Amino acid sequence: MMTAMVRRLLQRGLAGTLMLLLGVMIFQFVNPFIADSIGGEEGLSRLIELLPPGLQTLAQISPDFIALTGLAGYLSLGYDHPVYLVLVMSAIIGFTSRSIAGEVDRGTLALTLSRPIPRTNIYVARVAGLLVLIGVFASVGPLATRLGLAIAQPTGDVGTDQLLALTLLCGLLTWAVGGLSLMVSAASDTTGRVVGWATGFLVISFFVDYFAELWATLEPVKPLSIFWYFDTTGTVVDGSVPLTSALVLGGSGLVGVVAGWWRFTRRDFEI
Amino acid sequence: MASDSGFVIETEALCKAYGDIRALDAISLQVPEGSIFGFLGPNGAGKTTTIRILMGFTRATSGRATVFGDDSWQKGVAVRSRVGYLVTADALYPDLSGDDQLAFAANISGREPVWRDRLLDALELDRKVLDRRLGTYSKGMRQKLALVVSAQHAPDLLMFDEPTDGLDPLIQRNFAGLLRDFRAEGTTVFMSSHDLGEVERLCDQVAVVRAGRVIASGSMESLKRQYSQRVEVTFADAVPGGIDDIVGASLVERNGTMVTLHVDHDFNSLLRYLASHDIARMEIRPPELQEVFMSYYESEEQAAEPTASTSR
Repeated sequence: MMTAMVRRLLQRGLAGTLMLLLGVMIFQFVNPFIADSIGGEEGLSRLIELLPPGLQTLAQISPDFIALTGLAGYLSLGYDHPVYLVLVMSAIIGFTSRSIAGEVDRGTLALTLSRPIPRTNIYVARVAGLLVLIGVFASVGPLATRLGLAIAQPTGDVGTDQLLALTLLCGLLTWAVGGLSLMVSAASDTTGRVVGWATGFLVISFFVDYFAELWATLEPVKPLSIFWYFDTTGTVVDGSVPLTSALVLGGSGLVGVVAGWWRFTRRDFEI
Repeated sequence: MASDSGFVIETEALCKAYGDIRALDAISLQVPEGSIFGFLGPNGAGKTTTIRILMGFTRATSGRATVFGDDSWQKGVAVRSRVGYLVTADALYPDLSGDDQLAFAANISGREPVWRDRLLDALELDRKVLDRRLGTYSKGMRQKLALVVSAQHAPDLLMFDEPTDGLDPLIQRNFAGLLRDFRAEGTTVFMSSHDLGEVERLCDQVAVVRAGRVIASGSMESLKRQYSQRVEVTFADAVPGGIDDIVGASLVERNGTMVTLHVDHDFNSLLRYLASHDIARMEIRPPELQEVFMSYYESEEQAAEPTASTSR
């Protein structure tokens, strides 16, 4: 029963999800080729030094960035790039919005609600589907990067432990966003409302994190952004996810999922 | 098996409020086991809200709703294990084929789809069509599939909201026959419908709701008995005098030598009057459900005073 529900949830919007997955794979696959075409670590360092100081500030990258972080540091930039984030978050928010609010909107949730299934189980199926999606999207990027490295072979080393740490960090970010948007979905009756709230939250978070780097006045509010805890470069260089990031991102997702469960099991469904 | 009281569905002073709006205002119903029960009312009367509460989709603001003796909210899983609920045709997954939709519904029902073939045959839903995605189905085909989805697992109670919406008359007749068969086998049917003819042909018991309240309920016969019968008389010559003054009868229409009267229950005065005149033709017709239904609504409208209650 549970398997059938999870499968059904993942089947919905499968074509779109696969396209987004393909986008993530291609984006992370080509990065090692770009690094190689520029000349590996040395070439990347020279390129950054050539950038005007203003552009270095806007790109939030210092001349000694490659010297400090190596090829792994460069590749980590592909994971907090807006294109990557948009692809992954579209898949996650698309799933969470479809799986509850979207089903209320279309009326399809009535079929599941009318069967002898506890609401908790119906909700757990949504969480299980989300976890599958998170696992796939978090791991496909680093796998594509590894494949690109194996083929392009740019100068510089990137260890498996570094990519595993990146996978875990990406998983934690998507868990946090997925958990919070599932909470909104559990309380909503339309897909648009979930997409609106989740996208707004992400955009504000992203720009708070970005502008706080440039503008000291915003420095105190930086920890309020979810992206403050998504330090891809630090994670890749250290080969481990910072504890604070793990706790905040993991905790945010958990709070979202639990709050969503509380609402889902108690609310009225006008379908 | 019904509860100890012998009723499959029982509600008592069931209320549902949305802020200041009262969608249900003390609805009390008793649906006997093995009956086909019609739940009648115009749009917004509270039919769907009542069904949602019985299915555990929404929680009543106050009052009690039990199905097979179990509280519909607190023991929702137990209730739904014995109920077949008709989802609207639009609520089926358009990306699934008919076969996959039926398999998915059977899987999450946790019961074997033992009535599937019977339903497919009665509804004349071609098995070849089941290979196709639902998005390619016509409205009538989706409605047929929704009916199969709702009942294929042989539930003890069928709960239908407008079951024959979109079906052609032939299929409606087949479906009615199938419901009678199910009833004969002990299944209870609770259905709301706008089609009064269908309710009249099918249902043993009815309840009429308006603005969240039950304004009449009982067996079809008892409801009709309460309503005056229609008598059409054609006199051989002109309509004689005194036709307006017959006790227990009221003149509705006069057309040449023909008059139409409503007679409450006492025919004696009318028969005495007619016996003294030359009658060419006379027809007594029992009231149709539509007349009974409309009479309740008209009398309610006349009796109704301005109120804050609003139907939903």
